[in-house]
Amino acid sequence: MVDRKEIAYLGDLVKVYLQDPEKYIRQVDQILNYFERLDKVEFDTDKILRKEVSYDNLRDDKYQKFLVDEKPLIDYLKKDQNNFVRAPKMI
Amino acid sequence: MSLDISATEYLSFVHDGNISVEEFVAKTLDRIHLMENKVHAFITMDEQSALNKARSIDKKIQAKEKTGSLLGMPVSIKDNICTNGLRTTCASKMLENFVAPYDATVVSKLKQEDAIIIGKVNLDEFAMGSTTEFSYFGPSKNPWNTEYVPGGSSGGSGVSVSALECVLSLGSDTGGSVRSPASFCSVVGLKPTYGLVSRYGLVSYANSIEQIGPIARRVEDIALIMNIISGHDSHDDTTVKENKVDYQEGLDGGIKGKKIGLVQQMMGEGIDKEVAAATKNASSKLEDLGAECVPISLDSVEHSVAAYYTIASAEASSNLARYDNLRYGYDFGSEGYEFKAYVSKVRSSFGPEVTRRMLLGAFVLSAGYYGKYYVKAQQVRAMMKSQIDMAFKKVDFLLSPTMPIPPFKIGEKIDDPLTLYLLDINTITANLAGIPAISVPFTISSSGLPIGIQLLANSFQEKSLLQTAYSLQQTTHLPGVPI
Repeated sequence: MVDRKEIAYLGDLVKVYLQDPEKYIRQVDQILNYFERLDKVEFDTDKILRKEVSYDNLRDDKYQKFLVDEKPLIDYLKKDQNNFVRAPKMI
Repeated sequence: MSLDISATEYLSFVHDGNISVEEFVAKTLDRIHLMENKVHAFITMDEQSALNKARSIDKKIQAKEKTGSLLGMPVSIKDNICTNGLRTTCASKMLENFVAPYDATVVSKLKQEDAIIIGKVNLDEFAMGSTTEFSYFGPSKNPWNTEYVPGGSSGGSGVSVSALECVLSLGSDTGGSVRSPASFCSVVGLKPTYGLVSRYGLVSYANSIEQIGPIARRVEDIALIMNIISGHDSHDDTTVKENKVDYQEGLDGGIKGKKIGLVQQMMGEGIDKEVAAATKNASSKLEDLGAECVPISLDSVEHSVAAYYTIASAEASSNLARYDNLRYGYDFGSEGYEFKAYVSKVRSSFGPEVTRRMLLGAFVLSAGYYGKYYVKAQQVRAMMKSQIDMAFKKVDFLLSPTMPIPPFKIGEKIDDPLTLYLLDINTITANLAGIPAISVPFTISSSGLPIGIQLLANSFQEKSLLQTAYSLQQTTHLPGVPI
């Protein structure tokens, strides 16, 4: 069911360069074949679990400063001296 | 002075002045140095800070000043739970040098009670696995036989408690990750009801099913720690505002008149003979104590592994999308790389199990397959919850073996992920349904390896669950760890 092209596509979706795609083809295929049994389960209802939270119980939607030892969180990130996160070029 | 004492015994010894905190912590550190090359439970140690803290608590005790209720008890923390100033690696190269700038709520609560965080312990990378073999730092080993797996993913927690390297540990349980190592290492492990313990500061893997849970040598120690870590947290809106329960009070209340269901689907095909015999023996012992044990059927268990891995993989692929090595991550220069190529390159450092689950998650969520897999898995989950609700109208507790087989050799099943997934069949029900479950050490197999028994209760029934687990524990007389 899963072939090399599909695994490469999935790798692209999850942004992972797959060094040994063949291994994943076999294993992912085997697991998905096992998952096929979900399609054969008979349900009495279409119900799925949902957790309902009343509006009153939601926290206020307002900006809260997140300080750690009086410093903003950005101070703990990998960044250069100008406070930017360093990233490769976007082409 | 023996390190093989329970948490409650520790408190009593320190309180009565039989041991000092520094003496106990120093002896624990010596034990860790002796054991680590054999069992590899720890990823990071915090020795000097542990000793300093021990001395300061001793001073407070001598001066009769107020101390926290844990009196310097040495505790280990699974390395996917954030600790301020002490690295949190998730056993992944991706977070090899990540130091969280804040404490998880459970860690804050332990520190407030003067627990000493002695170190961070091993796990399967990002808690994905059931053997602790998928750790970037190498596998942990079972103290009962170091050629065997200790269970997982909280393997380091199970090993550190079992091998007397700490008194208590906190793990996380997404599909049995606390109960599996508890069973394989002959210690007690509790997965609490979803929403009873804050997950703030737990590195996310599958938010809708994971919970932080304690591992200890005795059921009474689990009750002690649950009194501290449970409760509502404003940082985690999934925690519930239930009235505070005292889990220690009435622990020896017994189980006379209680009804226990033996889940037939958890004792069927693939179960080891000795494990099956142990489960029947446990049920007989509970009957001797006045409980009534009856068979009970939960059809949905047969579909639970497929449903669980569909949901967990979907949530994992979403949660792990954030690791791009830019905001935090290991040192890998971006010079010469285009953005997409850089991110793909650094993310290829995820281990095989994490990669596999991200691929599966992307597949089951993709257009064309979403209805076939993910929606169906959620329907199975709803069906399971409904069956569990029905079951708890008939019985007070459910009983099963924690794991269908005893511990197996390291490397034996590592290349067969589906076989490893199927070993979770008895533990994942509690996660999908959100109910509490505990593994209690029950016996030792003919090959000298531990077998644990699992008890499950309805949501927020931890108090009665612990009473039943305590009763079961009182029927056993197990040997000490041989290492």
